[in-house]
Amino acid sequence: MAYLVQPDYVKYVCSCGQMKPITNLYFCRHCLKIRCGFCICHEVDSHYCANCLENMPSSEARLKKNRCSSCFDCPSCFHTLSTRATMVQPRQDPASGDAKVENKQPKKMYYLSCFNCRWTSRDVGIPDQPVASGGWPERVNPFANRFAQLMEYYKAIAQQEKQEKLDKERKKFAIRGNYITLTDKTGLTGAMARNRAGMPSSESTSSAIANFVLSQATEEVEELPDDYHSREVNLKMITTMPQRLASPEWQAQQVSRLQPIARPLSVKRSQRCRQCDHNLTKPEYNPGSIKFKIELLAFYHVPEVKIISYETIKPGVTSALLLKLTNPTAHEMQIQLIQPNEVPEIEEKEEPKNIEKSLEKSLNLEKDMSWKSVVERKPTLPSAIKVNNPELTFTLAQRDDAAEYDDDSHHDTNDIILWRKSNKLALRLQLTADENAKVGLPAVAVVALQYTYRNTVPPTSTQPRDHTLYTTVTIDLGIVSQ
Amino acid sequence: MSHNIKILPGATVCEDCTLEGDITIGGGTVIHPRVTIIAEGGPIIIAEYCIIEEYSTIIHKKSDKQESPPKALFIGAHNVFEVGCRLESIFGHIGENNIFECRSFVGVDVRIGSGCVVGAACCLTAQQVLVDNTVIWGSEHHIREALEKQPSQLLQLDFLSKVMPNYHRLRKPNVHKRQPSRQSTEPAK
Repeated sequence: MAYLVQPDYVKYVCSCGQMKPITNLYFCRHCLKIRCGFCICHEVDSHYCANCLENMPSSEARLKKNRCSSCFDCPSCFHTLSTRATMVQPRQDPASGDAKVENKQPKKMYYLSCFNCRWTSRDVGIPDQPVASGGWPERVNPFANRFAQLMEYYKAIAQQEKQEKLDKERKKFAIRGNYITLTDKTGLTGAMARNRAGMPSSESTSSAIANFVLSQATEEVEELPDDYHSREVNLKMITTMPQRLASPEWQAQQVSRLQPIARPLSVKRSQRCRQCDHNLTKPEYNPGSIKFKIELLAFYHVPEVKIISYETIKPGVTSALLLKLTNPTAHEMQIQLIQPNEVPEIEEKEEPKNIEKSLEKSLNLEKDMSWKSVVERKPTLPSAIKVNNPELTFTLAQRDDAAEYDDDSHHDTNDIILWRKSNKLALRLQLTADENAKVGLPAVAVVALQYTYRNTVPPTSTQPRDHTLYTTVTIDLGIVSQ
Repeated sequence: MSHNIKILPGATVCEDCTLEGDITIGGGTVIHPRVTIIAEGGPIIIAEYCIIEEYSTIIHKKSDKQESPPKALFIGAHNVFEVGCRLESIFGHIGENNIFECRSFVGVDVRIGSGCVVGAACCLTAQQVLVDNTVIWGSEHHIREALEKQPSQLLQLDFLSKVMPNYHRLRKPNVHKRQPSRQSTEPAK
């Protein structure tokens, strides 16, 4: 809970250099590295409506423009609309008034209503529906035609450019030598190949480009009404900017032209390590479930650091810092505090080149690692505050849910270890602030942890089970004061 | 002070509420327990078929520029005061079919028409007039005009007046008239 409602006092340095709280980090068990949302690959698993929890395959979702067909949002306040039922007397006999007419069965009619701002579909004159869900009138985009034209045009252009690139490639091959291209070898011409692949032929693309009408700018615009500037504005009748932008196709200017907005779909994401392509998280397919099939969060694998208390940081003064360390894993953990610059650089191991690898390379199937240079960077860690690390390796017991019922047996408390409780311990550390630390600037201490980690992935013969891992943590200690 | 409470037949008024001053409660109205109605600046007349929920407060405040005899605060029919709302309006008339949502506050200088909705936790303090069918909602007090009045709560009223006597001690109606209606209550001031 503290992680949700409080600022992030303790941040971990991800292997890509980002600094994030432990709850926002992942831990790849195969690379044994911390990953964050910035340096992993996000994939859409499934589309679903968060209101009715209906699942939708992605092709259908694309067809429905990523919107649910049965749920609506309020165009006025964007809250979800609810369906309300009313009993309606058939309209033929207005004379009868309040008196119930026995021979006419009252009919159930449905309308949409917002419980937040009390907007109803009757407000804008949408007739009530005889069925509870669906059947609401759909408005056609006034520019649907033009939109389709544009889509076709740009598809054609994309197609053409692809073709040109292919041709260029082929030319390159031709110059280079005696290779036979695939199409030549199989006796297929380009057109036939395209036809087989179901792609539009080059003739149709060129016609789509030729037939396309560019939009024309005109100098004559419709004049504004005379009273445009003098008319009194009734703000209750005019829509607000958010209301207009919520339905960009229509952008109703009058409140009376608002339409229920089909609810946008949500997605379930699975996340993947870019380095080794293993899944980091994978949600369960059922939209109603919030559980994961795979859930490699740093919170379950990396020792957690929390601040208990600290003394105010003053330049040149040594102060105390109390930290709590927790071992979340099911194995004992040896932890040592080290200076951040003592963390060894992890060099990328060149994987042994076997036949398969070289084949992959020749086929150009090797993984594209260009993202790494873009994403990864070295974090700049503040150095004004030095943590005087104790030369001590301490052992943290494994996480044990039943431990709170036991009496603690060993109490090896000393000057540094304040207390111990099952898989947690409190440390008393000394901080020395630099004499030149500027008063008023944020005081951030940096400490690195060296910890042992037992990998529970079924080991291959080459990989050891136990690893020594490093993580760097920044601790926010308020501001440097006088 | 609390002698002048008139409860018309058909009204459901729980015993566990604070009623002070000259108050008239119309038939069909349901007043939940822990409601506070204080008529210190003049009589309060609540018409028929209102629902006043728990912890709501209606105060007719004393003011300096008071007329004498003091003007009554008339609350029209079918108003709903949801849990914890507070109404301090001193203007003589509050229309019909209004809804004061949970923990809303309507200050002294607010005049309220009919069919208005004061949204949950909305706080109206500035001098203003809510014309008919105004809806105020959200923390930013968005204002909207509804096309029609809010649907009435008659089903809920029926249910409450049936269920309330089973679980609460009620105040007995003390005015007996054959046909309690607005016309007959108004001369009471």
